[in-house]
Amino acid sequence: MDPREQENVIRMSRRNFLLRSAGVGAGLMVVGALPAFLAACSSSSSSGGPGASGGGALTTLNVLAPAAPDPAPPGVAKFSDTIVAAFNKWQTDNSAKVVYEAPPWPQLHDKMQTAFASGNPPWDVVYMSGWVPEFASDIVPISDMLPADLKADLPPSSFSTTTWDGKTYGVVFTLSLMTLFYNTEHFAAAGITEPPKTWDDLKTYVKELTKPGQYGWVLNYGAPEGIGGTASYWMIYLQQAGGKMYGPDGMPVFNDTPGVDALQLMVDLQAAGTDPGSISYVGINDATNVFTAGKASMMMNWPFTWMPAQDPTTSKIVGKIGDALLPAGPNGTASIDGTDAWTITTASKNPELAMKLIEFYLDPAVQKSQAIDTGWLPIRLSVLNDPEVQAKATNAQTVLAQSQHPYDSFVTPDYNQVTQALGTEIQKALKGDSTAAQAIKDASDQVTAIVKSRT
Amino acid sequence: MSRQHGATWPFGRLRASGYLGRQRRMGILLILPALVVMFAVLGYPIVSSIVLSLQHVEPGGGKFSGTWVGLANYLNIPSDPAFGTALSNSIYFTAIEVIVVVSLGLAVAMLLNHPLGRSAFFRVILLIPWALAPVANAVIWKWIYNANYGILNYVLHDLGIINQYVVWLGDPRLALNSLLVADIWKSIPFIALLLLAGLQNVPPILYRAARLDGASAWQTFRFVTLPQMRTTILICVVLQSIWALKVFDLIYVLTKGGPADGTVLLNFLSYRETFDFGDFGYGAALADVLFVMMFVLALIYLRVFRPTSGARQAGA
Repeated sequence: MDPREQENVIRMSRRNFLLRSAGVGAGLMVVGALPAFLAACSSSSSSGGPGASGGGALTTLNVLAPAAPDPAPPGVAKFSDTIVAAFNKWQTDNSAKVVYEAPPWPQLHDKMQTAFASGNPPWDVVYMSGWVPEFASDIVPISDMLPADLKADLPPSSFSTTTWDGKTYGVVFTLSLMTLFYNTEHFAAAGITEPPKTWDDLKTYVKELTKPGQYGWVLNYGAPEGIGGTASYWMIYLQQAGGKMYGPDGMPVFNDTPGVDALQLMVDLQAAGTDPGSISYVGINDATNVFTAGKASMMMNWPFTWMPAQDPTTSKIVGKIGDALLPAGPNGTASIDGTDAWTITTASKNPELAMKLIEFYLDPAVQKSQAIDTGWLPIRLSVLNDPEVQAKATNAQTVLAQSQHPYDSFVTPDYNQVTQALGTEIQKALKGDSTAAQAIKDASDQVTAIVKSRT
Repeated sequence: MSRQHGATWPFGRLRASGYLGRQRRMGILLILPALVVMFAVLGYPIVSSIVLSLQHVEPGGGKFSGTWVGLANYLNIPSDPAFGTALSNSIYFTAIEVIVVVSLGLAVAMLLNHPLGRSAFFRVILLIPWALAPVANAVIWKWIYNANYGILNYVLHDLGIINQYVVWLGDPRLALNSLLVADIWKSIPFIALLLLAGLQNVPPILYRAARLDGASAWQTFRFVTLPQMRTTILICVVLQSIWALKVFDLIYVLTKGGPADGTVLLNFLSYRETFDFGDFGYGAALADVLFVMMFVLALIYLRVFRPTSGARQAGA
């Protein structure tokens, strides 16, 4: 192909890229969509591949990242503008050209699955969300490659979801734990002065806040599997009840009192005043839309939703949103981790350069801009504690406080299969087709079979 | 044509000498490149899928190697509760869709065949649902069915048909039927046009004869239109059955197979096992079962389309 033609194919303006990304991402889950903001900063392609390369002696790094969400959170363009100069300088300094492939988020796993299975994945750097154990043989351990100062500035617990069989394969780039979002206006109207602190508070408040045209609670229970699916929400309550998914031998141990109590709480919340549509919402956006329309009083949500919820063009509850730790169960509060991480593939011919790119993504200036402009919280503790960041991302303190409590996402190589089985049984209980105890027993039997087939 | 001749066709003719024999051999030669391409793009994936289904595949570490397990993947299928659900859902979905689409398609075709309905405008309007991209269609229906903001709830509530908003995608059976409605809406136009073409081929003289015999409208439809449309209707039934079995986009966008696996069809189950769970062998076995089902339908289709012996003789 004529080099000029090739240039035309692979070059996209930032505006076009964001517009295109917004288009293809319509209605889709947005967890982990941040990397596309970085994609917007490069002279990039949305379908780069091994063949895409720069001119001269430039080394091409191919990156797989999710597309920008739709609607794009406020500050995206500004975020991109702020770091574009630094990013271009990084490319020049490292004689590198970064080419992005940015499919919609829900396609990421399938794309990786097939590419890794082919034995010839075209990427150097890959975004992961809870799939590190599943693809552990396709990505390289990076703990030895991480600079000591960077490692020291990251919460040690952030490595738990990127570590499998004692090896660390990735770096989480955003502190993404679920916390409680609530509508302060609804609370005031109901005479409630503070967010629920316990399960009992939560059930009582949900009941009190539910009235015609308004629900006390909303969440997306439509898709059972994955991070942000029905099963993962139950895992939050499981930890709050003092339970665990797996024992030391790797076999499921959740068919016990905490496991049943956790599901019973979800069932009780359903009866108390959960939006009945919750069982049909397949993505967090569906539930968030109900909350930001002022039709629901409370929900669990990810930090990246905080800033869009404060945007008058997408939210009717601007200035009326409070955030708090998730209500405590018998064992205290707990959450799950969004597990958005960067990893390097075993197919990469330039793992050192790929590591440098990841370091750039985690540079304090980039992390700060990420938080201020997009609302995606940084993972670096020094940036999280930056007064400017805390002033802008007012939910940072809550998320940081939530991170002081358990937030295990229980990721395993068969996480999708496990959460599909578990989430389907939970859905049956939520629909009233099964009791909490029966659903947990059935789920435990299925998960046991899944784990046994792996081991 | 004799029965014996029919059994050897077309190879017997290829061996024939003279002008006709050379003509037939040249014909085969000319379509050979197309046949090679067809085998490459269709045959290879089919064979590859069957080979895959006989293995337990462990992708990872840059390898895509499997161990032979014979028919184990197929033998596991009957005991998989998700397969039972998917099979019954697929049969229900296909049966209802075919009945409704062909019935409504025929009604629409008859309206379009009426002198008042022959304007090109109506045909263009009719084609809109069919012309929509499948995912765009699914997204539209996702909003129509939204429990809080969906236009369907809004209209039904305003008309006093429902007292409170319905969660259309919240109950397994209701969700499956909601998907059916969405797919029927998209499928009717093409089937209606096929049937319209069939209707226009019914010799007008038969209608005139029926009128002269004093046949009522129903009798005309029952004893003239339907028998004349038999082949076209059969083709529509087979085609729509294949398309209904292949439904994927609607499920992927609207329900992801939920709630409680209530909208999992065979096609979606195969996708889930393969790409979500990474079980390539079992996923391929499921896909092959679906392939066999569709292949049988395709054979029926070919049988319906096969030229009659008289037509072959005429062609020769």
